[in-house]
Amino acid sequence: MFENQQLDVLPQHQQIIFKPLAAKALLHAQLNWLLFYIPLMAVLAAICFFNKGFAEVAQTPLLIALPIILVISLLYNIVSIRLKGVAMREHDIAYRKGVIWQQVTILPFSRVQHTEIHRGPLERKMGLASLRLYSAGGMSADLNIGGLSHDDCKDIRQFIQKYTERAQAVNNANTQTDGQQLDSDESLNG
Amino acid sequence: MDKLNWQRVSPWALVYFIVHFAFRFVKDGVFNLLPIMVVFVTQVENKLFWGQIAVAVAAVALLIYSLAYYLNFRFCITDEHEILLNKGVFKKERLTLNFLRVQNVNIAEPFYFKPLSLVNCIFDAAGSTSQEAVLPGVTTQYAEQLREQVLAYKATQQQQVHTNQQIDDLTTTEPQQCLTLSNKEVAKFGLMSNMAILALAALAPFMNVMFDFLEKAVINRLESFYQQQVGILVDAAALAVFSILLLVVLIAVLLSVLMSLIRFYNYQLYFQAGKFKRIAGLLERHQLSVSLDKVQSITIKQNLIARLLKRYTVQCFQASSGGFAGAKSKQSLVMPVLDSEQVNQVCQWVYPWLDLKTLNFMGVEKALLIKNWLFYALLPSLALAVLCVVGDMLTLVYALLSLLLLSGLVYLSYRRYGYYFYQHEGRFYGVFRSGMVSVQYRVFELYKAQSTRSISTYFMRKGGLKSLSIQLASGTVYLPYLKAAQADEVIDFTLYQAEFDQRSWM
Repeated sequence: MFENQQLDVLPQHQQIIFKPLAAKALLHAQLNWLLFYIPLMAVLAAICFFNKGFAEVAQTPLLIALPIILVISLLYNIVSIRLKGVAMREHDIAYRKGVIWQQVTILPFSRVQHTEIHRGPLERKMGLASLRLYSAGGMSADLNIGGLSHDDCKDIRQFIQKYTERAQAVNNANTQTDGQQLDSDESLNG
Repeated sequence: MDKLNWQRVSPWALVYFIVHFAFRFVKDGVFNLLPIMVVFVTQVENKLFWGQIAVAVAAVALLIYSLAYYLNFRFCITDEHEILLNKGVFKKERLTLNFLRVQNVNIAEPFYFKPLSLVNCIFDAAGSTSQEAVLPGVTTQYAEQLREQVLAYKATQQQQVHTNQQIDDLTTTEPQQCLTLSNKEVAKFGLMSNMAILALAALAPFMNVMFDFLEKAVINRLESFYQQQVGILVDAAALAVFSILLLVVLIAVLLSVLMSLIRFYNYQLYFQAGKFKRIAGLLERHQLSVSLDKVQSITIKQNLIARLLKRYTVQCFQASSGGFAGAKSKQSLVMPVLDSEQVNQVCQWVYPWLDLKTLNFMGVEKALLIKNWLFYALLPSLALAVLCVVGDMLTLVYALLSLLLLSGLVYLSYRRYGYYFYQHEGRFYGVFRSGMVSVQYRVFELYKAQSTRSISTYFMRKGGLKSLSIQLASGTVYLPYLKAAQADEVIDFTLYQAEFDQRSWM
C-alpha cells in the first residue's frame, strides 16, 4: 500500500466479533414503529369515515397496502436489529448496522470528544438506552447506538472516560520527562 | 479583583463598533424584519416619509447602542495568562480566554483605521467563533506585543519542549517562503467561485419586486425594440426575457469578482517553520496565521471554469465544529487562484514529496463503473425513451443523446476516483482524488482520522468489494468500490495510526 513501506501485521477489524443488542431492543423497535403507525392508520380511518368521496377512491387500495407495509416493516425491523452489533476493542469501539447498505463504523476512544446517553420514555420503561459518541468534524453524533441496555451504556461510557483519563496521565508524564523519552518514541515511529 | 488592571480601548474603537453592529444588523436582522417590510410595502401610504423616519430611528439607535457598548467594553490581561473581556449593554458578559486556548492571534487593519495606524487584534479560540475575542482599535505595536506574549507563553507551556526547540532552530535557518497574487489573478477567483450564486440568493427576497419593475420598465421596451429590429421572425418577448437573464448573470458575475477582490485584495502568503501567514483584504487587511500542525486536511481543487483558466484553488482546513468548513469559514486558509507551478511551489513548502503530476494513483474497481452506468445512465435514458414513445413528443434521438452524455459523465467520475498513500519521514499520508469534470485532491495525515467506516451491499460483498469513508476533523473523505482486502487494510492501518501516534491531532 505504501511506497517504501512494508506493513507488519496489524490488528484486523474484520475479525471483530460483534455483540448483539439487548434482548429487548427488538421489542422496543417494533413498539416505536407501531407508535407511529397506529395513529397514522387511525387518522386515515377517520378520514375515510367522515369523507365519503375520499373513501370511495382510497379505501380499497389502503386496505390492501397498509397491512402489507406493516408486515414488511415489522419483518425489516427484525432483520435490522439482528444485523446490528457492537464491539469494544482495547482502543476503539465498533458498530455494525444496515440491512441493504451494511456499515461498520470504528471510532478510536482517543477521538471521542464527548458522550451522551439518551433515554426516551419507552426506553426507560424497558431498561434500554441510546449511546451517542461525538468526535470532531461530524455534523451529528458519529456513533448513535440505540437498543443497548442502560447498564451497558454506562459501562461503555465509564470505560471511555477511564481511557481518556489514562491517556491524559500518560501525556502529562511525557511532558514532565525531558526530550530523551520523546526521542526514542520518535525513532520507533520512523 | 481590585488588582486587575482593567483597560478601555481607544475612543476610535467606537467606529469599529458602529460598523460592526451595522453589519451585524444587515446580516442577521434583515431577514427577521422581512414581515415588517412586507407590511410596510403593502400597507403604508407615505412610504418615503415613514421610510426616512425608520432609517433615522435605526441610525440613532445604532449610535446609542454602539456608544453604550463602547463604554461598557473593558479588557484586562491577567498575570494568570488570561484575557478577560467585559462587554454587553443589556446583557453583561464576561469572557475569559486562557492564552493556552488561543489558536491564533490575528491582526486585522480595517481601512478606517489605516490613517490612525490602529488595528483590531483578534484572538482565535480553538474551534468556536462565538468564543472569539476582538480588541478593536489598539495600536499595531500593542497588538504585536500581545501576540508575542501569547505565543511565548504557549511555547513555554507546550508539551513537547524539544519539538519547539527544533522549530526555533528551523526558524533561524529556514528561509521565509513567499507567494503573492496579483489582483488580476484574484479577480479570476470571482469567476471560478460560486459566489455569484450566493449573491443571487441574497437578492432572492426582492425578486418579485425586481421582476415587476423589470417588466414595467425594461421588458416592454425591449420587446418593442426587438420587434422593430428583428421583426416578427423571433419571439420578441422570449428574446427580451433572455436578455434580462443574461444581464442578471453578468451582474452576478461582476458582484462575485468584486466580492473576491474585497476578500483577497493584494494577497500575500508567507510560509516559515511550519507556519502560514496570509495577509489580504481590501476594506480590512486581515492577517491570518495557521500552523501546519493544526491543518487537518489540504484540498486542491479545480472546477470547470478553473480548468478553462488553468488555475487551482488550495484550501487548508482546520478542525471545524459542525462540519461547515466551507470556503467562507474563517478557520480555513484559502489560496484562491494558483497556476500549476504555484501549486507545486506550495506543495514543496508543505509536503516535499507531493507532486500531483507524478503521483501514481490507484483506481477503484470497474464494478463501480458498471453500477453507476446502470443506475445513472441507462435507467434515466430508458425512462426518457419510454416517455418519448408514450408521450409522442420527442424522438428517440434524445434518449440516445442523454445515454451518451450520461455515460460520458459516469465514465469521467469513475476515472477520477483514485487514492495514493505515502510514507515520508515516519509520517503517513493519504491523497484521495475525486471529481467528474472538475477534480479535487484531498491530502491528509492518516493519524488525524477521527473515525473510519466501511460500507457494502449484498452484491458488493459477493464481489469482494467495499466502500470506505474516513472522517477527518474537517469533513469526510470517501472512496467507493475498493477490493475488500484493500479497504480493510486501509481501515486497519488508519486506526493503528490514530490510536498509536502520540502526537496530538488538534
